[in-house]
Amino acid sequence: MEGVESKEREVMVAKPVAVVGVCDLLLRLLAFTVTLVAAIVIAVDKQTKLVPIQLSDSFPPLNVPLTAKWHQMSAFVYFLVTNAIACTYAAMSLLLALVNRGKSKGLWTLIAVLDTFMVALLFSGNGAAAAVGILGYKGNSHVNWNKVCNVFGKFCDQMAASIGVSLIGSLAFLLLVVIPVVRLHRRT
Amino acid sequence: MASTDKPGGDPEYRTSSTPAPAGVDYFKFDVILRFLLFAASLVAVVVIVTANQTEVIRVPQPVPWPAKFRYSPAFVYFVAALSVTGLYSIITTLASLFASNKPALKTKLLLYFILWDALILGIIASATGTAGGVAYLGLKGNRHVVGWNKICHVYDKFCRHVGASIAVALFGSVVTVLLIWLSAYSIHSRVPK
Repeated sequence: MEGVESKEREVMVAKPVAVVGVCDLLLRLLAFTVTLVAAIVIAVDKQTKLVPIQLSDSFPPLNVPLTAKWHQMSAFVYFLVTNAIACTYAAMSLLLALVNRGKSKGLWTLIAVLDTFMVALLFSGNGAAAAVGILGYKGNSHVNWNKVCNVFGKFCDQMAASIGVSLIGSLAFLLLVVIPVVRLHRRT
Repeated sequence: MASTDKPGGDPEYRTSSTPAPAGVDYFKFDVILRFLLFAASLVAVVVIVTANQTEVIRVPQPVPWPAKFRYSPAFVYFVAALSVTGLYSIITTLASLFASNKPALKTKLLLYFILWDALILGIIASATGTAGGVAYLGLKGNRHVVGWNKICHVYDKFCRHVGASIAVALFGSVVTVLLIWLSAYSIHSRVPK
């Protein structure tokens, strides 16, 4: 009996410093896939529509093909860039965490530090894209910025879906900051 | 001397078998950073709320056209988010000051600080991004979309206020990131090896 007990205690003590658990790896994988999907959905977002533009009252309205693409709006460019950065970071940190299961303390500290930075970056990108998206949906009468989404409906819907998906990625990064700390705190 | 061990006491007062508690002194920095966050939120909110400018627009008729922060839902969200951050930071500054003499409370408080700091980081970062996106649009306009012209060449005082407010909010986000790093480091240093 005692031998089994001491062996159990030994196993419990000899458990590796569980700074990288399965939960962390799953969250990183989720963050990687989700930010990748968000970046791809916005990168292929394109819609061309024939918009009648009235040059003057005497001529009939001219049908001009207008294209809506993500790179026409700086906020969407910033959104794509933040998602791309978060995606590459998630992939790299996933590989590092798999290779380095808690052996190197410095590396784990660096990953934890960069995780908080990624939370801020992703949330700011989401906010910028959401603000411009709402401007497209509703316009702003005070500045005479007309709404755009009544014409480019598919473009706007795809953008909204991409922002929603990227929000899930931000939440994944947030959990990645919080969960290791909770785990550490249980050991104090 | 090494045998005076408080039963079930805090890690700080254990014997020399555990490393010297590095997390204790950093509560000074914690209080200072939280107060900085409060100051930044307050300044950002005040500066953007007082951004009022009225200019006379000639087209279609000469009418005075005002610019206020509440004309844009993005700026309204910015003010709301920064107010929440200001309220949170003053509460946690007081909590941190209150707990500076009570070591048993500190470790539990560190965990709550990190959880709420992470949430507030999300809030203040998204507010900065939101207001920044719309402000950039007001600064440069967008030639691809018909009618989205820049406004900052007319409303210069308004744009200056908004720009300064967003810069201060960015500083607040950096302070929040530093707070999270500090709390994480403090918790990490209290783990008995």
